[in-house]
Amino acid sequence: MIAARGRERCVAGIARGFVRTIGAMSDRTPPHALVDDRPGEGVFRVHRDAFCRDDVFELELDALFERGWVYLGHESQLPRPNDYLTTWVGRVAVVVMRDEAGRLGAFLNSCRHKGAQVVHRARGNARLHLCRYHGWSYDSAGRNVVLRARADGAYPPSFDDAPHGLQPLAAFASHRGFLFGSLSDPGTTLADHLGDARIFLDLVVDQSEQGIELLPGDVRYTFRANWKFQLENTVDAYHFPATHPSYLRLMDRRARMGPREGVARSVWQGDDGVQLDERMGAFTFAHGHVLVWTTSPPERHPLYAQREALGRRVGAERASWMLRTRQLDVFPNLQIGSSAAIQMRVIRPLAPDLTEVSTWCIAPVGESADARRQRLRQYEDFYNPSGMATPDDTVNYEDCQRGMRSGRVPWQQAWLQGHARGIAAVRPGADAHARALGIRPATSSSGPFALADETVFHGLYREWAARLRDAETSR
Amino acid sequence: MSPSLDAQAAAQLLYLEADCLDRRRWDAWLALYTEDACFRIPTWLDEDTPADDPDRCVSLIHYASRAGLEDRVWRIRSGLSVASAVLPRTAHAVHNVRVGEVAPDGEVTVHSVFHVDLFEPRQRAVQVSFGHYAHRLRAVDGRWLIAGKTIVLMNDVIPTMIDVYSV
Repeated sequence: MIAARGRERCVAGIARGFVRTIGAMSDRTPPHALVDDRPGEGVFRVHRDAFCRDDVFELELDALFERGWVYLGHESQLPRPNDYLTTWVGRVAVVVMRDEAGRLGAFLNSCRHKGAQVVHRARGNARLHLCRYHGWSYDSAGRNVVLRARADGAYPPSFDDAPHGLQPLAAFASHRGFLFGSLSDPGTTLADHLGDARIFLDLVVDQSEQGIELLPGDVRYTFRANWKFQLENTVDAYHFPATHPSYLRLMDRRARMGPREGVARSVWQGDDGVQLDERMGAFTFAHGHVLVWTTSPPERHPLYAQREALGRRVGAERASWMLRTRQLDVFPNLQIGSSAAIQMRVIRPLAPDLTEVSTWCIAPVGESADARRQRLRQYEDFYNPSGMATPDDTVNYEDCQRGMRSGRVPWQQAWLQGHARGIAAVRPGADAHARALGIRPATSSSGPFALADETVFHGLYREWAARLRDAETSR
Repeated sequence: MSPSLDAQAAAQLLYLEADCLDRRRWDAWLALYTEDACFRIPTWLDEDTPADDPDRCVSLIHYASRAGLEDRVWRIRSGLSVASAVLPRTAHAVHNVRVGEVAPDGEVTVHSVFHVDLFEPRQRAVQVSFGHYAHRLRAVDGRWLIAGKTIVLMNDVIPTMIDVYSV
């Protein structure tokens, strides 16, 4: 239906003068209609304009980032009373603080007086936060404790109608240390929002009896491309052998050369250079969360030696899932990749063609010094923007963005063909893998590794289109 | 007996390394390093503090030996990396060269400031990176080689990617 409407407009556009009219035409298409989702007909398409248009980007910030649950930070970053970290929710500066009593809170990082950003550092520890402009100050629970020279200020009685403390986020909650917040009423609890996708956060947390921690050291990068390329890429099984052959061949090369002093091994490094017999699968969940898993020989996994103890603690099925690679998107801004190393990425859209990503290496608390060193080296080689895999991803995103904006492609020709693999294999609800784990996804698919399913993206874009449609209606 | 190392000789070695990187003379670049050379770019722990312990903190790059750099050069030449398919043009400038500590084993640490201008042809964009080098130099068969290099990168929000030639 959408396609037919677009074609009519396109023909009309050509009649009225090609270039100018085509641009104007597609700009009128409501953002949500840039996803063409017709499951009955086996069609799922995303339009190039979804990655390029300024109005789409503005609506994404409104509807996805500045409304509803977004990831803020991890409790292990704020272990002590009065610890804080600063971050962003969409365009809005936010501070997460632990008060004197150890309670966590999340606030707008903006003075009530003139709006100045109050807390400047990425993180730290402070009982009081002083706004340097006019000297109002706030405690670590967000309360205004100094409204300087108030007594002499001849304020009217109505001045106290609104509180003077830092404004708390409308919602703030933790799932096992992962902190989420929402600028306005999200309409659901965090538990309902995460649904069964939370099981995959639990699989990360439960790897160690003592829990997990984020390792020190900031890694942050930008790329000149739309944020959704990052959202897709983490769960994109199809790209891996095509984008990362240099990394994969390097792992084979390292295996052939035998151990070399100072070079870390990788979970992708075979001892024999033989292609792994892998299987893959994907789940989509309500509210936009998605997961891709692969199996590879479990004995290569660093947790393999502990599998029996893990099984006793979390059950045999969950223990076996810990030995699979798992790539999780928690919509819209959190990604966790679990292979030998565990990586967390947080996405911050800055413009339709500019994105910032912050990344952390997650590790089990209390692992041995040798294991920790091995984890770090392997993590750096693969995941860093200064490593040997992520640069090939970010450069690809930029190629996509340049390719997409190279002239306004006529509407009907601008539908991407990148969301179709696996449509003939995907099924609604749970497959055998999901049932064994006891989860109820919206869709499941699985097959040989070469299936390289793309239906996993449908979960992202179904939520995207639904939230954008709601926001269009309420505007 | 080590050859003498004054600031001028130290600077010449650092300039030579910069030139190898700018001219993509990868083999000549690797040959400036000892086999056991440790190459590292630490992250920052906060606004003021570079990470000090690579076994506890994430590094941007950390190789405990030259083999890691050899892997990098292999990848750059492999034709298998889209990020390496169109290499940026770079100009490495090294300033403020200062001969520092001499270790009991005779290794000398040389401190300097670097500034790299980089033109990325695909984006038609200029990037800059700047910071501090610390080279640990070792006398081998009458010449000085790099036995360790630490790069403290000041502008550490990475634009798209960096590789060994970007810093």
